[in-house]
Amino acid sequence: MNLANIRNFCIIAHIDHGKSTLADRFIQYTGGLEEREMTAQVLDNNPIERERGITIKAQAVSLDYKARDGQVYQLNLMDTPGHVDFSYEVSRSLQACEGALLVVDASQGVEAQSVANCYTALEMHLEVLPILNKIDLQNAEPERVADEIEQVIGIEATDALRISAKTGLGVAEVLEAVVLKLPPPKGDPAGKLQALIVDSWFDNYLGVVSLVRVINGRIQKGQKIKVMSTGKDHEVSMLGVHTPKRVFKDALETGEVGFVIAGIKDIFGAPVGDTLTQAINPCTEMLPGFRKIQPRVFAGLFPVDAEDFEDFRDSLSKLRLNDSALQYEPENSTALGFGFRIGFLGMLHMEIVQERLEREYNLNLITTAPSVVYEIVSGDGEVRRIDNPAELPDGSEFQDLREPIITARVLMPHSYVGPVMQLCMEKRGVQKNLRYLGAQVQLEIEMPLAEVVLDFFDRLKSVSRGYASFEYEFTRFQTADLVRLDVLVNGDKVDALASIVHRDASYTRGRDLCERMQEVIHRQQFDVAIQAAIGAKIISRSTVKALRKDVTAKCYGGDVSRKRKLLEKQKEGKKRMKQVGSVEIPQEAFLAVLGVDRKK
Amino acid sequence: MSNTDLPLESVPLSLYVHLPWCARKCPYCDFNSHAARGVIPEREYVDALIRDLEFELSDAGESRPLRSIFFGGGTPSLFSGAAIGRVLDAVAARLKFANDIEITLEANPGTADAANFRGYRAAGVNRMSIGVQSFDPAHLAALGRIHSGDEARRAFAMARDAGFDNLNLDLMFALPQQTQVQALADLHGALALQPEHLSWYHLTLEPNTEFAARPPAVPDADTAADMHDAGCALLADAGFAHYETSAFARPGLQSRHNLNYWRFGDYLGIGAGAHAKRTAGKDLRIERRARHKHPRTYMETAGTAEAIQERRVLAQDELPFEFCMNALRLHDGFIAEQFESRTGAPFSALSPMLAQALRLGLVEPPATDAVRPTEAGRRYQNRLFELFL
Repeated sequence: MNLANIRNFCIIAHIDHGKSTLADRFIQYTGGLEEREMTAQVLDNNPIERERGITIKAQAVSLDYKARDGQVYQLNLMDTPGHVDFSYEVSRSLQACEGALLVVDASQGVEAQSVANCYTALEMHLEVLPILNKIDLQNAEPERVADEIEQVIGIEATDALRISAKTGLGVAEVLEAVVLKLPPPKGDPAGKLQALIVDSWFDNYLGVVSLVRVINGRIQKGQKIKVMSTGKDHEVSMLGVHTPKRVFKDALETGEVGFVIAGIKDIFGAPVGDTLTQAINPCTEMLPGFRKIQPRVFAGLFPVDAEDFEDFRDSLSKLRLNDSALQYEPENSTALGFGFRIGFLGMLHMEIVQERLEREYNLNLITTAPSVVYEIVSGDGEVRRIDNPAELPDGSEFQDLREPIITARVLMPHSYVGPVMQLCMEKRGVQKNLRYLGAQVQLEIEMPLAEVVLDFFDRLKSVSRGYASFEYEFTRFQTADLVRLDVLVNGDKVDALASIVHRDASYTRGRDLCERMQEVIHRQQFDVAIQAAIGAKIISRSTVKALRKDVTAKCYGGDVSRKRKLLEKQKEGKKRMKQVGSVEIPQEAFLAVLGVDRKK
Repeated sequence: MSNTDLPLESVPLSLYVHLPWCARKCPYCDFNSHAARGVIPEREYVDALIRDLEFELSDAGESRPLRSIFFGGGTPSLFSGAAIGRVLDAVAARLKFANDIEITLEANPGTADAANFRGYRAAGVNRMSIGVQSFDPAHLAALGRIHSGDEARRAFAMARDAGFDNLNLDLMFALPQQTQVQALADLHGALALQPEHLSWYHLTLEPNTEFAARPPAVPDADTAADMHDAGCALLADAGFAHYETSAFARPGLQSRHNLNYWRFGDYLGIGAGAHAKRTAGKDLRIERRARHKHPRTYMETAGTAEAIQERRVLAQDELPFEFCMNALRLHDGFIAEQFESRTGAPFSALSPMLAQALRLGLVEPPATDAVRPTEAGRRYQNRLFELFL
């Protein structure tokens, strides 16, 4: 395809602002799929993605569009992950595009994640085309929202297309605008091959499949290629595009987007952001922006049944085939036995991994409260990092303890500034900037990541009735007065219940934690004493009184099925419990530390 | 070991007959009962029972003698002595009776009728179970019972007069607003009648009942546990042995029919919604069956395979749970040989669960080959049973 007839673009939108619906309309309009082949939201093809309405893996569709000028254009639509945890993936998708459609719900307005992604797009010199969606809604305010886009993002939006992806209104104009207003790709078709890996995933039948954007040169079937970060050579066995049906081709030309299969065994052999070049006479420069992914949040995951450990290990390695952000190493907890300490990009990533392990691999897991990474400076000045609260040594054994600080940007309507500020202060936030942007306010604030991990998202949502949006980036490590809060159950310290808290909050946290644990630990055959301690000092305690009796009185002799169901249900309820010593501790207890503030 | 090693003759056989109608449905009851509207189709239903039995036996013959028969409900005492007689005659014509067969019929004091009671006795019924539940007028009202405490006493006397020397009383505790004093007063009331057997149940709010939909204020778990402890002490003092979770008997007068359930014996089940468990077929598989619940559907289909709404052959790995959730209700538990002869599975199939139960202190240390629940095992019975799931 002639470069001038290619458009590579993506859609930037907040969850529920209509990205997937619009993508579906494009596919329908250009005839990428027959009517009967359309399942709603074609691009999000992982069930968890579809349920949550978010995108985890990047996808791309190549659509042939006959424009009003009579020419056929190849429109390559890149889908981008839409969550703060996946900002690196987003930036790689953006790098593969020349333009972006900023889709904003005309009844809602701009929100922080879109703003952040939009800034990234602008920094990468993408042409951003604002689109006001959902104008069929009664409460749509296209004028106000257009104004907001101009104020907050600083791009011209007066002429923004007003559409309804749901009804199809204005979709044709969007396709025309893509052709007329977004630039075609540049690049040297005769140059050495340089292709950006936008995403890689593992397919059980095909091995590693990489989504690539050819920047220079061409990539063809049978060609020997080199993955630049690993230096390894592979032979291209198959390549093609998704229309969204998989269509095999002989080559991908400069400017095109498609998938490549080259006998690569695992996704670490083709990391996101890496560059593909030709094996013979390769280019020397990698495309800019490649980096190794750093997990920020860590949690211990332990199989409820110790016998599942090997299955768990297998499942993780399988999951990792498709999730290069997932890092893990074995962890041995005195309370929970053998498991893994797993690093995640953020809380959503953690939830997704947990859900997939349980759903797709049928594992029963106990997850400890997530923790961030701390830096400890020992007496001799050596810096080491710990990601497990149980490993925090006594205060006398180190010189300095530092916690990760993030810069967060919260975007919200005026009326919520008060409560949001209050929440941020409570979370040890330091205000950096406050900007009034039309109807919205942008608060820039520095906060310990640990507080965000705790319960910030939920609290933010509740104090702003869901109107505040949030994005953040890691800024630095900073000294803080932190202590380890231990929990003892019937006198035994449970390592998996330890948390690191700020000294000023430690007493309150300890007390709340004991109270919550008392609520979530079921009554057992004996009294269960719960204590919170800092060092050797017990700062709070509570007791779960023994259950007197657990009996089903009447068993209608003939019919055991009902009784069986009842016991099965009871047992199911205990699935997420771990026997620690003689006490059964439910999953909720391990996460209780996250919820301690919520009761206020 | 496979089921083919199971010696069928060693598995005792009982018969359960379900009579589904009640004068009125009680709000706590989740058994298959239907409020009778007008006259019960007694003749038609007994015909259906006989056809059903015929079908059951045509399916696979039965040479084992019946150890017990139980007429349960619903309210069996809504049926006439003649009707019960017809059923028993039909059974006797098709199956052998053990010499000491126990034949029980459940009666509601609100439907007690001296002529009927004499009729039951004449028909061969030798044990009656009277659903008293409580003697307290407020609690009887809360339970939606159709009788008073005095009527219960009269029904008991009527049964004695009719010649029944083996009587059970059904009572419940932890009733709405009940105090411990009141619960014990009910037991005293029952003991004063000098029954041979007492079934004393903790009221449970079962799903799909009126109580589940509108839960009454019942005593909390700790109060109920206190009632239970005090009640057990009282019954022990009165010479009643606590031999199963909710069953108390004078020496030698345990309920044989229920014991057969708890010891994982076989039982045929005829009547609407009746459940059966039978070891049968060339390979001696254990099968559970349930008849259609609705009396009308049941009567229309009885005598054909259509009457069976559910049938399930127990898988080998279900046997530990199926057996233990019954056998461990008994204070004496069971012996290894019983497990093997009733399930056809080796005793070793229970080893991992029993080891865990022992660790948790829920079964006695194995001194002989008997498996007995401990005091804790009885108290935390659900915990114990769960281990076998």
